[in-house]
Amino acid sequence: MKLIYRIALRLSLLLLPLLALWAALFYYTMIDEINDEADDALDDYSELIIVRMLSGRELPALNNGSNNSYSIVPVNEAYVETHPRIHYRDAEVYIPEKEETEPARILTTLFQDRDGHFYKLTVATPTFEKGDLFRAILYWIIFLYLLLLLTVLGSTVWVFHRTLRPLYALLQWLDEYTPGQKNAAVPADTTIPEFHRLCIAAQQAANRTEELFERQKQFIGNASHELQTPLAILGNRLEWLLDNGNPSEEQLGELIKMQRTLSHVVRLNRTLLLLTKIENGQFPESTDIDIAGIVQEQLPFYEEIYASRGIVCTTRLAGPLEVRMNESLATILVTNLLKNAYVHTSEEGHVEVVIQGRRFEVRNDGSEPLDADHIFDRFYQGKKKEGSTGLGLALVSAVGRYYGLRVAYRFVEGRHCFTVVWP
Amino acid sequence: MKILIVEDEPSLREVMQRALVQEHYVVETAATYAEADARIAGYSYDCILLDIMLPDGNGLRLLEHIKRLRKRENVIIISARDSLEDKVLGLEQGADDYLPKPFHTAELLARIRSVLRRGRSGGDLTIDLGNVSLEPEGRRVQVGGVELPLLKKEFDILLYFMQRPNHLVDKSVLAEAVWGDHADQADNFHFVYAQIKNLRHKLSEAGATIEIRAVYGFGYKLVTTTADE
Repeated sequence: MKLIYRIALRLSLLLLPLLALWAALFYYTMIDEINDEADDALDDYSELIIVRMLSGRELPALNNGSNNSYSIVPVNEAYVETHPRIHYRDAEVYIPEKEETEPARILTTLFQDRDGHFYKLTVATPTFEKGDLFRAILYWIIFLYLLLLLTVLGSTVWVFHRTLRPLYALLQWLDEYTPGQKNAAVPADTTIPEFHRLCIAAQQAANRTEELFERQKQFIGNASHELQTPLAILGNRLEWLLDNGNPSEEQLGELIKMQRTLSHVVRLNRTLLLLTKIENGQFPESTDIDIAGIVQEQLPFYEEIYASRGIVCTTRLAGPLEVRMNESLATILVTNLLKNAYVHTSEEGHVEVVIQGRRFEVRNDGSEPLDADHIFDRFYQGKKKEGSTGLGLALVSAVGRYYGLRVAYRFVEGRHCFTVVWP
Repeated sequence: MKILIVEDEPSLREVMQRALVQEHYVVETAATYAEADARIAGYSYDCILLDIMLPDGNGLRLLEHIKRLRKRENVIIISARDSLEDKVLGLEQGADDYLPKPFHTAELLARIRSVLRRGRSGGDLTIDLGNVSLEPEGRRVQVGGVELPLLKKEFDILLYFMQRPNHLVDKSVLAEAVWGDHADQADNFHFVYAQIKNLRHKLSEAGATIEIRAVYGFGYKLVTTTADE
């Protein structure tokens, strides 16, 4: 989940109970305040009635337009003992003028006249519908909650993006970063110390990676170059033994096998050097090349070399595939894919070469899919083949990377498909 | 024929020297830039084998020096760096050939012979062996003065053998030399055998006094049959 979504979600989740709590508090405070006001009015009213009654003056008319009502009933002492002197409550009362019941606040006061008789005075004043109020407040709270939430989230997102802009610039830089390639400088356009430190750290890491990458490349190149002389010595000594040592048939066999192993090492070394050179971009000169032409030129070699295996090769070349590439790299690309197909096809198998639009595809029979994530790695070999350097497909992928081609492997209907697509 | 080997690695210098002496060349060696420089200044050679990566200087500068002295030495550059740029640079500076390490002795000898032949006969590179004569440039072969038509691969194989008479050539080495990298993972050498068979047949039909002999099951050797008799 993106950071901003997580922040938004957490804010919403946190605001939900907080606002509910706030709403409840608001509601009860408000009810309390309203009741307080009503009770004060009732107090005054009942005091007025009691005073009038005790002084024997005329009591207020029942219907004076205020919707207030009262009643006075005599009660006995037992009642007085069991009931509080002053009691407030909420109740529904029938208002005759309106001919309906209304919620009302009721004050019951017990008092004693001069003769010692007890009376119960009940005064009622219509109040608000609590349910209505509750609902109204609830609606508003929800509305406010949403409004507040949107406002809070909106401003959070805005502030977030403004503040974290350097972080996103850094992240984008990291996405685009590939070691060994020309990379833009780390974005350092920030005055925030934390981000500044992050950028410096990224720059240092990148420098370190570059240095290691460069050193590794140099190491492979140097090691391979350094190996050339000893390999030459070894090869020449073997040759001398072959020509002058008068070896027996058995010894000759051993010598030849040593020579073949040596030439395997030589090939491995040469291919590593070639890979290093491709990765160093040491094949600058490009010409217009027809891939279909290279296929037609190279295919007969494989048909001849693998003739004893009875492999059938069909080509479907829709037309020339003109690309701008270094000629030897184009040949390396094509021959390694063709060779790979021939080497890994069993007897009487089928190899298919297809050129369609800007797509070059080599398919060959196979029993099970290969590991598509590693098939182009150096020295990755599904089934170890004698004499194989394990670098052929790595070369293909290196050439692909060099020219920004899409090189892919997939397994379709019992066939390995290697595809190269030119943009 | 006098040859100077300029190579800093003693062991390689030794095997090169041994191989050349065996071919009846007069061989001198130099291990450093300074030593080579002194020798070139004092003596003249038919061919100089020049390693361009020397501990005390770049061999290319030595080459420049040789050419400035207007000496007629043929120079074959020997380099651990098999790169086109180095090769082009070396040839541009007047080297006659460029041989990347690691190389086969037979290859080295063939290159020396080729360079010497070119220098001696004003560009005629024809190789003669027995009654067979082969023109590498014109891709023509004559047996006893009669043209022998060969297919491309047959010609390449014959050329390879003619440059290395009496050398045992391993089948896999031959395959790589003629078929290139395509053949490096071949699981058998039937295709080599098929071509050799045709070539042998054509040679004997034409009455050639050279023969490509199988050496056990490992490889082949070009021999002149007249020498054996």
